[in-house]
Amino acid sequence: MSDRTVIETAGLWKRYDDIEALRGLDLRVPHGSIFGFLGRNGAGKTTTIKVLLGMARPTRGEARVFGLSPFEPHSGVDIRGRVAFVSDEKDLYDYMTVGEIIAFTRSFYPRWNSNLEQQYLRKFDLATGRAIKGLSRGTRTKVALLLALCRGAELLILDEPTSGLDPAMAEDVLQALVGHVAGEESTIFFSSHQLNEVEQIADHVAIIERGQTVVSGPLDELRAQYQRIQLVFDGEAPDIRVHAPGTHSVRRKGRVLTILSAGGGTAVVDEVRGYRPASIDVTPVTLKDIFLESVKTED
Amino acid sequence: MLWHKAWLETRWRFISALLILTVLAGGNVYDYIAAQRLLPRLNATTTTPAAEATGLGDALREAIELQKNFRGFIWYQAFRQNLTQMGVFFAILLGCGGLLSESSKGSALFTLSLPVTRRRLLGARAGAGLAQWLAVSMIAPLSIPILAPSIGEHFSIVDALAHGLCVFFVGAVFFSLASFLSTLFGDIWRPLLIAIGIACGLAIVSFASPQLAIFSVMDGESYFRNGTLPWAGLLTSAVLATALLYSAAETLERRDF
Repeated sequence: MSDRTVIETAGLWKRYDDIEALRGLDLRVPHGSIFGFLGRNGAGKTTTIKVLLGMARPTRGEARVFGLSPFEPHSGVDIRGRVAFVSDEKDLYDYMTVGEIIAFTRSFYPRWNSNLEQQYLRKFDLATGRAIKGLSRGTRTKVALLLALCRGAELLILDEPTSGLDPAMAEDVLQALVGHVAGEESTIFFSSHQLNEVEQIADHVAIIERGQTVVSGPLDELRAQYQRIQLVFDGEAPDIRVHAPGTHSVRRKGRVLTILSAGGGTAVVDEVRGYRPASIDVTPVTLKDIFLESVKTED
Repeated sequence: MLWHKAWLETRWRFISALLILTVLAGGNVYDYIAAQRLLPRLNATTTTPAAEATGLGDALREAIELQKNFRGFIWYQAFRQNLTQMGVFFAILLGCGGLLSESSKGSALFTLSLPVTRRRLLGARAGAGLAQWLAVSMIAPLSIPILAPSIGEHFSIVDALAHGLCVFFVGAVFFSLASFLSTLFGDIWRPLLIAIGIACGLAIVSFASPQLAIFSVMDGESYFRNGTLPWAGLLTSAVLATALLYSAAETLERRDF
């Protein structure tokens, strides 16, 4: 594993009874990146996170965080001492107050940043005397983020970090995450269903489907690599097979044929010119397009 | 801080156990006043032929005879009945719960993401629970020597502590059993009901095979009758409790969340 790789999995499999949650997942998260981890519900995102934190053992394959195995007690403790994790549900201890859970969490992290704690208490408008039990989902999310951001972690693993937040607060959180990476030289690995948020802050993404990585890489490279080629014909679009390398999908609807290429598009255009379309348009795609196409082709 | 967390999770169970067992033990002191009036009127010299055939007649006569003095009454009512029966229940209640039951509340992932081993999580929880159980086992019997002078009676503090020790050690087995079952089931009810079922089963076995009578270790019968602590029983209890907690740690270590 490279020194600059924070998370690496190779051929990771995880089976729960008769369900294959992960089927040979390969993943590399570079140091200092904001890594968006995307997939449909049940694709294996949460299972991957649990394996990385040593909460679930893989059936086979390898997972390393900071080059260490999460499944050996001592290296697992070392990893968790350097990682901050916020779960999807943001469930905390109902029987504690905000102040108590901060004090509890602080006791495990020698690098806890008290100035940052005060800053986030003010920014998120959190009262330390309030019981966790009585907090709304949004406020719980704020507490969970405060606990994650103040512990001086080198890696933040966040499962749906903005769920339950209003758009203004979600924006604040996203900016806080970006600022955190810049200020603390840490890495953020986060899953989200909000593709616009991922597109806004992530510099690397991976899309997984049915326990396998289907797309992975720097977001800018993916954007440059993926092109949509739209052909409009005078009559009904022909039912064609495109052989150009990188062809991801071909869809036909009436007079229009839409091709998604992961190979830059030039080779596809050269190939389909022979079908004499009335027009050819090559347009860039959004992350949402890449995501939808990637998970559709697996159906 | 893990100890503090364990305390916050179990404090109401601990306070309930402490209050109820102390009130029951202390209440037995005042029951003696009424018992002194009632016991001389009881005549168990002859019972039904069936009772005589099963040995129930002898047991009744012995129970009446024992309770004619304060020490015998307290042993029979407090240590043999209340603190043993309710003690087992509260030891099981204190042992239930933990990391797996946190899964149903959703906070297990937060706990598991902390930089501590699962063994340490279980150790803190078991340590806090056993400390609570030790406090209950000692404080409840101590209410007897404290309250006895108020009715003109005396009960030795050493006797109360000796009986408390017996209650603690055997109770620790049921505490550890509940802790172990809590690493197998995610809710609090199944470990509670299964452990109570096992305790009832052991009570029935005790009637049939007195040599397997774990409850006669818990009520400190040998200490009451001849001043000797049941060392073999206490040691066996300590070994059983340790083995159950070790099994709980092993099970938790292998578990997926």
